[in-house]
Amino acid sequence: MSLRIKKEEQLKIIGMHCATCVNTVTKSLKSVNGVIQAQVNLASGLAKVEHTNVKLKDLVKAVRSAGYDVLTEKVTFKVSANPETFPQIEKRLEELDGVVDYKSNPALGTITVEFNPLQIDAVTLGKEIGFNAQPISQNLTHEDLVKMEYRDLLRKLIVGAIFTPFVVIFAVLRLPILSMIFSVPVQFYSGLRYHKGAYIALKNATTNMDVLVSLASNIMWFSSVYFLFEHLQTFFDASALLITFVLVGKTVEAYIKARVSSFLTSYKPSKARLKDGEMVDVSSLKVGDIVVVKSGEEISADGVVEDGKGEVNESIFTGESTPVLKKKGDPVLAGSVLVNGYLEVYVTRPSERSYISQVEKLVREAYSARVSIQSLVDKVSEVFVPVIITVAILTFIVWHFILGYSPISSMLFSVAVLAAACPCALGLASPMAVLVRVNNAVKRGIIIRNGDVFERFRLVDTIVFDKTGTLTEGTFKIKDYKEYQEGAMKLVSAAESKSNHPIARAFERSDLKVSSFEEFPGEGIYANVNGHDVIVGKESFVKNNCDWNVNESGDVLACIDGKPGAIINIEDRIKEDAFYVISELKKRKIRVIMATGDSSKYADEVGKRLGIEVFKGLTPNDKVELVKRLKSEGYKVAFIGDGINDAEAIKEAFVGIAVSNGTELAKYAGDVIIKDLKDILTLLSESNLAVRKIKENLGWAFGYNAVLVPIAAGVLYPRIYLPPEYAALAMAFSSVIVSLWSLVPI
Amino acid sequence: MKYIDPVCGMEVDENTQYKVMYKGKVYRFCSQQCMDAFRKDPELYLREGPKGMPK
Repeated sequence: MSLRIKKEEQLKIIGMHCATCVNTVTKSLKSVNGVIQAQVNLASGLAKVEHTNVKLKDLVKAVRSAGYDVLTEKVTFKVSANPETFPQIEKRLEELDGVVDYKSNPALGTITVEFNPLQIDAVTLGKEIGFNAQPISQNLTHEDLVKMEYRDLLRKLIVGAIFTPFVVIFAVLRLPILSMIFSVPVQFYSGLRYHKGAYIALKNATTNMDVLVSLASNIMWFSSVYFLFEHLQTFFDASALLITFVLVGKTVEAYIKARVSSFLTSYKPSKARLKDGEMVDVSSLKVGDIVVVKSGEEISADGVVEDGKGEVNESIFTGESTPVLKKKGDPVLAGSVLVNGYLEVYVTRPSERSYISQVEKLVREAYSARVSIQSLVDKVSEVFVPVIITVAILTFIVWHFILGYSPISSMLFSVAVLAAACPCALGLASPMAVLVRVNNAVKRGIIIRNGDVFERFRLVDTIVFDKTGTLTEGTFKIKDYKEYQEGAMKLVSAAESKSNHPIARAFERSDLKVSSFEEFPGEGIYANVNGHDVIVGKESFVKNNCDWNVNESGDVLACIDGKPGAIINIEDRIKEDAFYVISELKKRKIRVIMATGDSSKYADEVGKRLGIEVFKGLTPNDKVELVKRLKSEGYKVAFIGDGINDAEAIKEAFVGIAVSNGTELAKYAGDVIIKDLKDILTLLSESNLAVRKIKENLGWAFGYNAVLVPIAAGVLYPRIYLPPEYAALAMAFSSVIVSLWSLVPI
Repeated sequence: MKYIDPVCGMEVDENTQYKVMYKGKVYRFCSQQCMDAFRKDPELYLREGPKGMPK
């Protein structure tokens, strides 16, 4: 338990525009347990909070859930730490003042920290984190880092692979001095990253795999130097083999990581051809430029076809490998491939905002998922290396002092224990599985924003669907209408022309002048058209605001100057996939609900045809309340909507899913963005697979250590004997297997 | 143009997302709480004037 010290925090609040906001923010801050005093200043936008032991994260969360925002900054660090060391770094961040939140990615060795810039800056933060934390700049991407790591490993492996055979040959020929000379580059160049890693870990008062490898190889190498002078058997060969074998495994692992983590980047175009044939960097493209794409080439920028036509393979975004014909006026996305034809593309988005860049950014955040089982793994990782070192010491004591073996043989058992133990596989087990599944989802058109959604989505027992645009096509048509005032429909069309609601598009365009316009989400609109007050919307809304003295009703009512203007019936088609997807969900015993703002009889009809429960006439806020209520009844609720109008309900749900074909991804709320309803079933199977892979990986990681460590310690000796170098080989491949198994799609 | 929140009496910006149409007239609010209070009993506030922030 930490001390209860009074602390003061300063936050910059965003979005306060009236005095009541101050009250709301103050109230929200004070509602956090442990806050003693909160003062909010409207003019400066600063909040001063006095508290004991309150986490900054909770303060920020309180302000955000009250509808305001807190100014924070984010920075990503590359840290020199193995996956199993991340729990310690996270612990450090937990205790650090000014840290709001963090997302770590042990598989890639990065950690992204959200912090309060009024309290701490990126440089100080890096120092506090330790482990050589380096902020990643714009010109140095994650991929560069992963590739750099791979290349560094490869260089060290090549040196090891060149010298180690000589070390072994001279050992066999009983030429220990030559053996030693040839082992120096392996021990002190190839092995350097482990000695350095061990040094950094120990300096940061922690332990990791590097400590084990460095300890095992150094014990053998330095004792061999001593044995050389004493004319005893030397183990330069074992030490060199140990390092080389570990490097083989780690290089394979780094290669897999580099491949997996740069999967999207590899599709990102780097060069674009301008109309005059000049090749330029895509980053220099501006909106309005024309780029030329020839048959077989990648499309270099997001834009619209200006001239030419051709078939484009968009499988990277849709999972659909049949090429789509693109002609003048059709949108194209950077990263898709022109299979045949010729296109001139009018650039509509700079490369850093291209769709593929957006996907890359979101997916990268998803990589840093923290699954619930991770806390158990963290606890084990923390004590793993100290326990192994203890076991190694005990092994030596038992063999030498109890069983009476020579110190050299006893040392070999002891070193084998150090070399066999593999904490890395534990650290890699869940990040690798999540990484691979997130990528696989992207390939099938599903964009995962929170990697832990896999774990949550499996538990969902209730799915609430929005109707319009989610279960139905969302392209409305006017079925029929009746005017009570002549020209009413013209006025209504003009009013609707100002609205973004999908129904608005059902109306013809109108040139009448609209002088004022108000939209009431989930209810209707008000506009002044040519001097007439026009109110259009759902029945209850219009009737409450109008002297509605006729006995007829429709899907949409219109009131002109306080009197009935028109009734309009609207139709919308149910998506073909909806029937199949809902029947599949029901087979899985998932409760399916439709929640819609539509209050017309059409809503009931859609519900009836799909065979699902209907809640109709709901405002966006009602949908949030519905989700809250279902949650309080103990249901695990997923909300599936368009991601904009339902943003709040999506955020409130246990799992939020946005269905959209749009390409401005940041606009949509939700843990996941899908393109069509069938993706829900794919997400479900991906979720099951992800969780199974995590469990299997962890099972392997635990099982491997449980079996190999005792064997290395010699419990089966003399039947089975595991020399240190082969123990190291097994160790290295234990984490390779975790990486490979994550990739296997079964 | 400035508007007055009929529930708490504060000045509200024209572009607020919190608004309600009641009997053909638009009312603007400073917060979700005020808007919800108004929806519950609009007549109370129109008859008796602003009552301060709802609890």
